[in-house]
Formats: sequence, C-alpha cells, structure tokens
Amino acid sequence: MEGSKQQTNRLEGAVPTAPSFVTAAHELKSPLALVRQLALHLESGEVSSNELQEIAHRITLTSERALRLTTDITKSSRLEDSLFSLEPLNPIVLCQEVVDEMKPLYAAHGRTIMLTSRARSLLALANRDLLRRILLNFADNALHYSGEGPVTITASLRDGGSCIRLGVRDYGPALPSTMRKNVGQKSANVHSRPESSGLGVYIARQFADAMHATIGATSHRDGATFYVDIGTSSQMRLL
Amino acid sequence: MATKRVLIIEDDQWFLSLVKKTLEREKFAVVTANNTIEGMAEINKEVPDAIILDFFMPGPNALVLLHELQSYGDTAKVPVVLCTNNASDIPKESISSYGVVSILDKATMHPNDVAAAVRKAL
Repeated sequence: MEGSKQQTNRLEGAVPTAPSFVTAAHELKSPLALVRQLALHLESGEVSSNELQEIAHRITLTSERALRLTTDITKSSRLEDSLFSLEPLNPIVLCQEVVDEMKPLYAAHGRTIMLTSRARSLLALANRDLLRRILLNFADNALHYSGEGPVTITASLRDGGSCIRLGVRDYGPALPSTMRKNVGQKSANVHSRPESSGLGVYIARQFADAMHATIGATSHRDGATFYVDIGTSSQMRLL
Repeated sequence: MATKRVLIIEDDQWFLSLVKKTLEREKFAVVTANNTIEGMAEINKEVPDAIILDFFMPGPNALVLLHELQSYGDTAKVPVVLCTNNASDIPKESISSYGVVSILDKATMHPNDVAAAVRKAL
C-alpha cells in the first residue's frame, strides 16, 4: 500500500485554480457536520459532566475553525476591491501570536505547536492581518492533514537578508514534487493535500499576492513545510 | 453470542471518539485506526467482523484499503460501512462490489445510525 500507490493517491482529485462555491461548501461541511454530531451527543443526555464540558469545548473550537474559514473566504472574495497597507512588523512576534492562538485547538487534539527561530530581531514589510491569516491557514492545514508529530513555525532570513521565510513544518506524508511546484503557481491546480479541497492554500496564495509575497511548499522525507516569503523592511534605516 | 469486533478507521479524532462511544454502548468491541495504513495493521493482527471507514484520510484513501481487502479471502467478505462527508459524491453502484454494505453521510446521520448499520451488516 505504500510508495507509488500513496504518491498516486496524493495526486488524486486536483481542483480548478479558483475553487468554486461547491469547494467552499465542502470545506465548511466537515466542521459543521462535526459540530452537529457533537451536539447530538449532548442532546442524547448520555454524557457525564466531564464529557459535557469536553464536548462543549470541542463544539467551540470546531465552530471557531468554521468561522475562521468563512472570514477567509469573504476576505478573499473582496481582495480585488481592496488596498492593503504594508507596515514594518516583527514576524517573530506575529508567529508567536499565531502559535498562542492555535495552541488550544492543538492541545484539544493532543498535539503541540511551537515557534523555533534562530533570528531574533527581524523586520518584515507585510500586511499584519493577511500574514496572520496565511500562517493560521497553514497551521490549521498541518493539524488536520498531517501525522501526529509536533508542528513548528520557523522564521529565517533568505537571499542575503532581502527576504524572510515563515514556514509551518509538519510531519505528515511527503508531498510529491508536482504538488510542491503547484502550491505557488497561479495557473496550476492548487492542492495542499489530496484529502483536502485545496481551498485553504488557494486563499493563502491570494492573500500572499495581495501583499507582494509568495507561498510555496518544501517536501521532507517525513512531512512538509508550507511557507510564505515576505520582503524585509529597511524602514528603520531610513529613520 | 460472542462480542463482535468492529474496526473504525477515521482520521478525525473527535468524530472517531463519538462513534467509538456509541458502538461500545451497544456492546461492540471496538478497535481504532487513524488512517488506512494503521487500519491494515489492525486487520493483519485480527480480522474484524465489520469496518467503519472514512473515505478521505492522510495517506492512502478508502479505495486503496477496499482494494486490499478484496485481495485476500479472509478479508474480502468483511462488511464495510463508509462514513464520510462526501457520501453524495460516491457512486454506490461501483463501490458495492468492494464489500461496502452502506454509506453514511456524516452531515445528516444520527450517531445511532452507525450501530444500526453495523448490526444490519452482521
């Protein structure tokens, strides 16, 4: 079952470049169906007080995930009409905020997410909200479509200091090379993982385009890194 | 009557735990796997009386597992209940030859439907 079959499987079901309403509906169906199942269990009355608290917490986290997706879809559909200001920001601080925001969801799944960065004081030029949403998207993708290992957000300087790469490293099945190339391409089919619709990566790419950043993916023997490359800010030097 | 052994193969941990609880309440012995690879390992240990199977999971999808099951005499007859968010997209005619006895839609099913489907299949 391993090897070529697994590779083939990961290539199946590519979706068109612009995900349709049907794709969005499918993506939302999963958390909504889970919320309904959790609620039906509560309704059955056959739960202890501990279970009740746990199920209620899971309903909260799952509905927050669905809401995050609906906000991303709405924002994505309005991108062409909007102008996004770029500001100098510390990406390490932003990455830590994403880690803190995702920690409860990861903990509820018995998983961990952490930030690892050797660089201390980086200054990027980006839109805070869009960059945050890209990283949340990648972190959500890593939680739901990778293996059981920890997920790490990394930040590093590249291209002689002109670019900062923020990556979300997971330990799921490796990405085939075709899919790796497709992640950042406008004309190609976008697919994060075969069991997902690819909507999340499509939205992340739109957000990246809106602030002149690029996204991509690197395959590892035991997983993948989805990353966003953003420009560094020289503002401090100008002051 | 001996306790029937049901294998649940599902990558959503929270959905899996709900189905597991429901089946255990109905006195089934439940084993679980988070993907098809782990599922095959469980089947190799002991062939279950029935399988509850999600369709899309990290790694090989349900079709790969269904092919594998059909390749061996002792697993070909194990009834499979597909439990998926994509029920309406699965062609029931072509999948019935794989030992799939029913398809449940996670969005519309009731938790007790899983136990009813397993009971009907055994």
